[in-house]
Amino acid sequence: MADANMGLLSAPLTFNWTLSYRCNFSCSHCYSREEQAAELGTADIKRIVDILAAKKIPFINFGGGEPLIREDLFEIAAYAAEQGLNVSMNSNGWLVDADNASRLAAAGFKSVGISIDSAEASLHDEFRCMPGSFVRAVAALDHLRRAGIRTTMSAVISRINYRNFRDILDLAREHDVSQVYLHNFKCSGRGFKNREELDLDPGEWKAFYLEALEVKNSTDTPAISFDDPVIASLPGYDADPLVKGSSCGKLSLHLRPNGDITPCGFIPLVVGNILNQDFDEIWNGSDVLQKMRNKEARGKCAGCSSYGDCLGGCTARAFATTGDFSEPDPHCWK
Amino acid sequence: MNRPQRNTAIVWRHEAGRERELLAAQQQGEDISEGGTVILVHQGTMHQLNLLGGEIWLRCDGERSLEQIINELAGEYEVDRGELEQDVRDFVADLEQRGWLIDG
Ligand code: SF4
Ligand code: SF4
Repeated sequence: MADANMGLLSAPLTFNWTLSYRCNFSCSHCYSREEQAAELGTADIKRIVDILAAKKIPFINFGGGEPLIREDLFEIAAYAAEQGLNVSMNSNGWLVDADNASRLAAAGFKSVGISIDSAEASLHDEFRCMPGSFVRAVAALDHLRRAGIRTTMSAVISRINYRNFRDILDLAREHDVSQVYLHNFKCSGRGFKNREELDLDPGEWKAFYLEALEVKNSTDTPAISFDDPVIASLPGYDADPLVKGSSCGKLSLHLRPNGDITPCGFIPLVVGNILNQDFDEIWNGSDVLQKMRNKEARGKCAGCSSYGDCLGGCTARAFATTGDFSEPDPHCWK
Repeated sequence: MNRPQRNTAIVWRHEAGRERELLAAQQQGEDISEGGTVILVHQGTMHQLNLLGGEIWLRCDGERSLEQIINELAGEYEVDRGELEQDVRDFVADLEQRGWLIDG
């Protein structure tokens, strides 16, 4: 397959890194509550950082699980920042008080994202099964900003919030958040189990994205990001992305707590272990990654005029629902 | 701009493998204007620079003068010097306007 890697970057630009699946919350959409993996010690984690730095991977983003559950998070982040990596994380905000915010700043975090699913406190708390979590998440945004860290906000779009996403943007604006990620709902882990209740139907996704794209194109405060390739067919989507379709396996990879690599946090297929195998071999040689990078139009995608831009939409969702990367994204309205 | 210098707020990476692929494609007479050899990330958005853009970017170290950069590239590319000079000046001016290059 000499051509299979044509145009492929020398390494991903981002590693989404789950240091631990442990979490102080238990959210209804979370992909990782049912996952378990042995966690590495600090020394091994630093070895991974060395590998990422040697491969010139510019960004690492800690997620999980709640990154702050690991007491060595500050030490790990500082080590990575010293090596020139741009370090960020996603947190539920519960543990981000003024003190931890300054420690995150001192450790060199470039930005910290806080998950907020609704601008209505009670809805957020209920969704996250954690009374008081909204107030603490919002307070976290302020602590971080005062500590000089750029903040972002993440909301997983679902039935509970899709009609009110503008309120989420207003909340972000009030707290000087630079960027809001309106994440598409993924069908894995709890999200898969609860999808009847939480997921929108394709027509609703289309309506949501049309509206959200309009808002995105009319404001930069905050900047709005979607990570959903299925929107490539919509008017108002004028991005010229580095890669078409899903970016996992092309621009990003995911690390599990034990050093196993998966294409993304939502595709439970291990393509190798970063501590035990040569990284270039995994990146260039993994069959799974090559299949993801070279999807074939199946079903309604075959003959769809958007295929060149959309490449069948979200590979993780197609895989979760059909077991086949190349099947059409179940969110697609076409 | 006398000594163009890359803005340190921009994260970037040179893609040597892609560059080799593009050079090979160019030899075959293919159009390679779309292919990127340097990836830039600025405020969360990714951009790529084509072959010539990448060559310029790599030289914008704040040490070389614009004149020097043009001379180096003129030695590398078999193109009309006047045209090359204009391309380089336009490119640098564009990146300066975007804030990606500053005067070193
Ligand atoms: S979504 Fe985040 S905060 Fe909620 S359970 Fe999952 S890891 Fe924890
Ligand atoms: S049919 Fe397939 S290619 Fe067309 S928009 Fe839907 S997912 Fe994308």
